[in-house]
Amino acid sequence: MATVGKQSKTNNLDKSLAKGKPEVNVATFALLFSEIVQYCQNRVYTVPELQNKLAELGQHVGSHLLDVLFVREKGYKREIKLLNMLLFIKGNFWRTLFGKDADKLEQANDDDKTYYIIEKEPVVNKFISVPKDKGSLNCAAFTAGILEAVLNGTNFPAKVTVHWHKGTTFMIKFDESVIIRDKMVEGK
Amino acid sequence: MTIFDFYIFDRNGTCLCYAEWNRKKQSGISKDEEYKLMYGMLFSIKSFVNRISPTDIKDGFLNFKTSKYMLHFYETPSGLKLIMNTDLGAGSMRDVLHQIYSTIYVEYVVKNPLCELDKPILSELFKSKLDEFIRSLPVFASKVS
Amino acid sequence: MSRQTARAGDPRKVNGELFTLTYGALVAQLLRDYEDDEEVNKQLEKMGYNIGVRLIEDFLARSNTSRCNDFRETSDIISRLGFKMYLGITPVISNWSPAGDEFSLLIENNPLSDFVELPEGHTALNYSNILCGVLKGALEMVQMDVDVWFVQDQLKGDNITEIRLKFIKRLDDAVPAGED
Repeated sequence: MATVGKQSKTNNLDKSLAKGKPEVNVATFALLFSEIVQYCQNRVYTVPELQNKLAELGQHVGSHLLDVLFVREKGYKREIKLLNMLLFIKGNFWRTLFGKDADKLEQANDDDKTYYIIEKEPVVNKFISVPKDKGSLNCAAFTAGILEAVLNGTNFPAKVTVHWHKGTTFMIKFDESVIIRDKMVEGK
Repeated sequence: MTIFDFYIFDRNGTCLCYAEWNRKKQSGISKDEEYKLMYGMLFSIKSFVNRISPTDIKDGFLNFKTSKYMLHFYETPSGLKLIMNTDLGAGSMRDVLHQIYSTIYVEYVVKNPLCELDKPILSELFKSKLDEFIRSLPVFASKVS
Repeated sequence: MSRQTARAGDPRKVNGELFTLTYGALVAQLLRDYEDDEEVNKQLEKMGYNIGVRLIEDFLARSNTSRCNDFRETSDIISRLGFKMYLGITPVISNWSPAGDEFSLLIENNPLSDFVELPEGHTALNYSNILCGVLKGALEMVQMDVDVWFVQDQLKGDNITEIRLKFIKRLDDAVPAGED
């Protein structure tokens, strides 16, 4: 891979995407994220509202991440098969963002539209001990937002929600159209 | 050997955390009163120790000993004060206090957005980690008979 | 294909893009929530301050530094240890005032503003103002009252990003209640 030399004079947007950025200390990220959680918390009244807000911010991140990530990691090739996409999320995508694969990928027993990605201890929850009065708050709603934006942006429209189950479970409910299309692709 | 109790004060003198294990006798005053006395004493000892020091000292006050117990003191450059009382056999607790600061306080309080830094620590996670850590220390293992 | 498996995860690091874009999402949110740029700058500084007072504890826990003897030592630690540890960059220290109470940090590749273009009509926005707050908050915890502000910003077409720090005074330990 070609490395780009010093380019302080070039426009910020001209920088190569292929290079990848140096990693950042987890503490820096954790503290920034914690400020974001508090900022959002001061502007909403309930836990679901807070989670929605975090998911929105996650979506912002996800939609921008797409450009950066897919160019680099997939060499422009788009995933069409649902299963491959899910495996990509669980593997490459997770590894790039969080330095490891997601712990588990499962399909719901009774519903072919629903999949679960299970992460025992998501980075965003690592330092957060939720007080009892906010028992249901799961800040990984942010990650769910990222996921949702990435899936939507790659033409796998879905709703992603977080749940406290086996650590954190991301429930991915795909749009009917995705399943129909996938059956067609598989059928070929 | 054993550990009796443990305090954390912030730079404003607020007691952020108090925990006790094998403390058999209480001071007979309210906890708030006790915290205030503790902080006041540390403040005075610190400034006294620095004042009469024959040379410039870096760390200043580290501990004191009575016939029954030893008080260990560790202060960070940010003014956080960690205090532990042990029996006389415990030896230096400086590394232990630094470890509590760096691996428990910083990880579970500082990085927890829901913990306010200048208020007593309510996080259950912090409390359980602290308790677990203290109980795992070799110093803790042998109880006073 | 080898690239895809090349990344070994370090649990103490997170992906740089995730960080940059998360910050971007925050700034975008603030621009929606507040009417003018000055308010956003203020809010960013406030959040930075909150981060600073926490970040310094992590820094002290890991770096085993003791209190600085003078402002020059401080500047060195900020650049060589602080920025390096938390943002992976080492700003150049320059433009010392004759009295030794002011200096600048020169940053060439600000990780906060990668892939960023200032939106139209936000000329007063200091996109990375959070850094000023972080520095102020962190230094206050080690008994130093400082002023921190942006002088130049590459996002605004300047050649370099420059943050200036001015030492104001040393802060004292809190005296316990009831003592004089």
